Amino acid sequence: MFAYVMRRLAVAIPTLLLLIIISYILMHFAPGGPFSKDREVPAAVLANLNAKYGLDDPLWKQIWDYLYGIVVHFDFGPSFVYPDLTVNQLIAKGFPVTLTYGILSFLLAVLVGVMLGVTAAIWHNSWLDYLAVGISIGAQVLPNFVMAPILLLIFTLWYRLLPGGGWSFSDPTFWIMPIIALATSYMASITRITRSSMLEVLGSNHIRTARAKGMPERRVILRHALKPAMLPVISYLGPVFVSMITGSVVIDMFFSTGGIGKSFVDSALNRDYAVMMGVTILLGTLTILFNLLVDILYVWIDPKIRY
Amino acid sequence: MTKFLATTALVAVLSLPVYAAQPAEGEKLAEDQSLSFWILDAIKTLDPQLTESRTDSDMIRQLFEGLMTQDDTGAMVPGMAESHDISDDKLTYTFHLRDAKWSNGDPVTAGDFVYAWRRAADPETASEYAWFVELMNLENATAVVKGEASPEELGVTAIDDKTLEVKLSKPTPYFLKTLDHATTYPAPQKVIEEHGQQWTQPGNLVGNGAYVLKSHDLGVKATAVKNDQYYDAENTIIDEVNFITVNDQNIALTRYQAGEIDWFNLIPAGQYPKLKEEFPDEAISVPWACSYGYVFNLSEKGPEALKDLRVRQALSYAIDRDIIVDKVLQGGQKPAYYWTHWAMEGFEEPEIEMANWTQPERMEKARELLTEAGYGPDNPLKLKLMYNTSEDHKKIAIAVQQFWKAIGVELTLENYEWKVFVDKGNNQDFEVQRYAWCADYNEASTFLDWFRTDGDNNGMWSNEEYDQLLADAATEENPAENYKKMEQLLIGDMALAPVYHYAQPNMIKPDLRGVPLDNVMGDWYAKNLYRVAE
Repeated sequence: MFAYVMRRLAVAIPTLLLLIIISYILMHFAPGGPFSKDREVPAAVLANLNAKYGLDDPLWKQIWDYLYGIVVHFDFGPSFVYPDLTVNQLIAKGFPVTLTYGILSFLLAVLVGVMLGVTAAIWHNSWLDYLAVGISIGAQVLPNFVMAPILLLIFTLWYRLLPGGGWSFSDPTFWIMPIIALATSYMASITRITRSSMLEVLGSNHIRTARAKGMPERRVILRHALKPAMLPVISYLGPVFVSMITGSVVIDMFFSTGGIGKSFVDSALNRDYAVMMGVTILLGTLTILFNLLVDILYVWIDPKIRY
Repeated sequence: MTKFLATTALVAVLSLPVYAAQPAEGEKLAEDQSLSFWILDAIKTLDPQLTESRTDSDMIRQLFEGLMTQDDTGAMVPGMAESHDISDDKLTYTFHLRDAKWSNGDPVTAGDFVYAWRRAADPETASEYAWFVELMNLENATAVVKGEASPEELGVTAIDDKTLEVKLSKPTPYFLKTLDHATTYPAPQKVIEEHGQQWTQPGNLVGNGAYVLKSHDLGVKATAVKNDQYYDAENTIIDEVNFITVNDQNIALTRYQAGEIDWFNLIPAGQYPKLKEEFPDEAISVPWACSYGYVFNLSEKGPEALKDLRVRQALSYAIDRDIIVDKVLQGGQKPAYYWTHWAMEGFEEPEIEMANWTQPERMEKARELLTEAGYGPDNPLKLKLMYNTSEDHKKIAIAVQQFWKAIGVELTLENYEWKVFVDKGNNQDFEVQRYAWCADYNEASTFLDWFRTDGDNNGMWSNEEYDQLLADAATEENPAENYKKMEQLLIGDMALAPVYHYAQPNMIKPDLRGVPLDNVMGDWYAKNLYRVAE
C-alpha cells in the first residue's frame, strides 16, 4: 500500500509538470494578449509591459522562469490585470472563501443525498421512494444559475432574512445561500447513484444470506449493505469534491463571494496568464491528490480491491 | 502673463469656499449617511496612475483629488488648485495650490503632482494610460513615454510647494478638462517608495481626497470612510462609501430593491420602462457621453464593396435607429446620425441630411444606391459583422441583420470574446465592426480625434480636410464650427454608420440627494451627496 502511494505520487510530479507546460503553451497561442486593448497601448509602453512581465523572452525561457519561481520561491508571479496584487495574494484571498462554501456544500449534498438515496432504496416503490426521487429530480432540473436568483428573491427580497451577496468569515448568514445553491444539483446526483447502488446491493447474495440468518434488517443495512453500496458513490464524490472546493463561477458571480471560481474565468478572458496558471496548478494538484485519496478509500471499503 | 479665469463657472464658484454638498432649505438630514454604490466588476487597482477602468476611477475619485474637480453639471471647478493663470500663448499654465493635507497629515505640495505625472509617463511604470499624458499635450510627453527623454524633461515643474507650472507642446483647449482624470491625481511618493506596489492596500493607502480607504475585499466590497484631514471635511456629509461588486445586473437590481444598494446605474436593456412605471421617483435615465456605431473597414484588408460610398450610405440609411432605441434598448438612448454624443459641452448639433428623412425614405434611397452600385437579387452584397460577446450587442446585430436583409444584404454575424475582438479590430481583420467610444473629457474632440488619420480609427478612414479642422480647433476661440464641419465630412463620407447615443438608466434611492444627473461624463463625488430623512 505504502509503495503504491509512493508510486502514485512519483507519477503525479511529471503529470503536473506536463499540465503546466501544456497550459502555458495553449495560453500563449490564444489570440489576444493581456495588453490587447480597445485603445491600443503605445508601442513603447507595450514593450515596457512585456519586459516587466517577461513576455518578451522566448517561450521556453518564460516557462523555465515560471517553474523556477514556483519551485524555488513558491512565487506564482504578479497578476497582469490586478497590478496591486500578486497571484499568491489573489489565491490567498479567494481560495479560503471557496474552500469554506465548497466543503460545507459538499457535506450538505452528501448527507442529504445519501440519506434520500438510502431511504428510497429501502422503501423501494413506496411513497417515500417517490418523494425522494421527486426531490432529486426537482433539484436536478434546478441548476445553480436558476437556484441562485430564486433563493435571492425569496430570502433577500421578500423575507429580508439573508444578505443578497458578499462574504464574511465571521457571519454565517452570508454562507447559507451559496451553500444551498451549489449543493442542490450535486445532491440530486448523489441521491440517484446511492439509490440505484443500494438497490443492487440489497438484491445481492450476501444480503439474502444475512437476512436468511435472521439478522435484524437494521443491522443488515448498516453493516452489510451500506458500505458496498457506497463504492460507486465514492468514485463519483472524488472529482465532485475537487470541483466543489475549487469554486463555481456561477456562485461567485451571483453572490459576490470573491471566490476563486470567478477569478479563474476572468483570468482566462483577460489573458491574465499568471493568475490562470496559478489557479490551473492549484486545481491540477487538488485533482491529483483527491483521486489518490479516493483510490485509498476504495481499499478500506472493499477488501477485494488490492494494489 | 495675464491673470485669466478659465470658465465662467470658475468665477461663480470662487465666491464660495469650495463645491460641496448643499442640502436645500428645509431638508432634514438622515441619521445614516452611508452610501452603497453598485459596480459591475472587481476593482482592478486603486493606483491612480495605473488604472484604466471607469469602475476603478469611480472609487479613486473619492480617495484622491486632482487640480480641478467637477460640479454637478460637469463644469470644472477648483480642486487642489485654488486658481490658475494661463500665458498669452496658452502654452504655460501656472496653478496655485490650496492648503491641503494627505490623509496621513503631510501637506499636499506641487511636488506631489510633478511626481505623479512623471510617474504616469515614465516607461518604468509601464502604465497602460501613459498615453493620457500625451493627450494632455504636456511638453516632451511623447518622448518621455517612448523612453527617448527622461521623465524629468516632462513639462511639469514645482516652482515652490504651492505653485505648479505646466508647459504644453501646443495650445490645448480641453487641457483644464483633463485635470480631473485619475491619471493626473497627485501621488504620495514617500508611501509608494515605502510599500511598493502594495501601497494601495487598506492601511497603506494615503490619499488627498474626501475619503480614505478602510477595507477592500476583492470582488466583494470596498469601503471608504470620511477623511478628517480633507480640507472641506466639515461640509462633507456622507460618511461612508461602499462599492459593492455584483457581476450580474439582474441580481444587482434585486439587491437594490432589497435595500442593499442605494444607486444602481446600469439597468439591463429593455427593463427601464417597466421600472420607471413601477418606481417613477427612482428610475432616472440621463445622457451619458458614449456613442455606438458600425465601423466600415476601409483599409486594404477591407472588402472592395465597402470602398464604394454608395454602399456605405445604403447600409447606414437602412438602419432603423428608432427601433434599436425604442424597442431594443429602451433606456432613454437617442438615435445617432452623427458621431459626437449630442450632450457634450459646447457641441452644436450638425446639419445631417439623413436625420431629417423618414425611415421609408431612407430605405428607398438605400435600395436605389445599392442597385446603382451594382448589387441586386442576382448579385447580393455579402458582408460580415463582428461584435463582442454581450446580449445587447447581439440583439442590436440581429436587428441590423434584418434591416440590411430588407435591402438585399446577406449579413453574417461573427461573435468574438473581447480580447479576440479587440485584436481583430486593431489589425483591421474585419469587414464591419460594432464600436463604441466613451469621452475622456467633456468636449467633442474626444470623439472626433478617433477619426484623425493617425487616430485609433480601426476602419482607417482618412481625410486631410478633417485632420486640418481638428488641428485648427485647438487654437480656435470657439471650435464648435470646426466640429460641426468635421461631423459633416465624417457622415458625408460615411466613415461609419452611427447607431445611438448612450444614456445611463439609473435606479437611485429617493432619499439620496445631490446625484450629478446633469454631468454627462457620469463622474460623481460622494462628498457632494447627502441623504435626507424621509
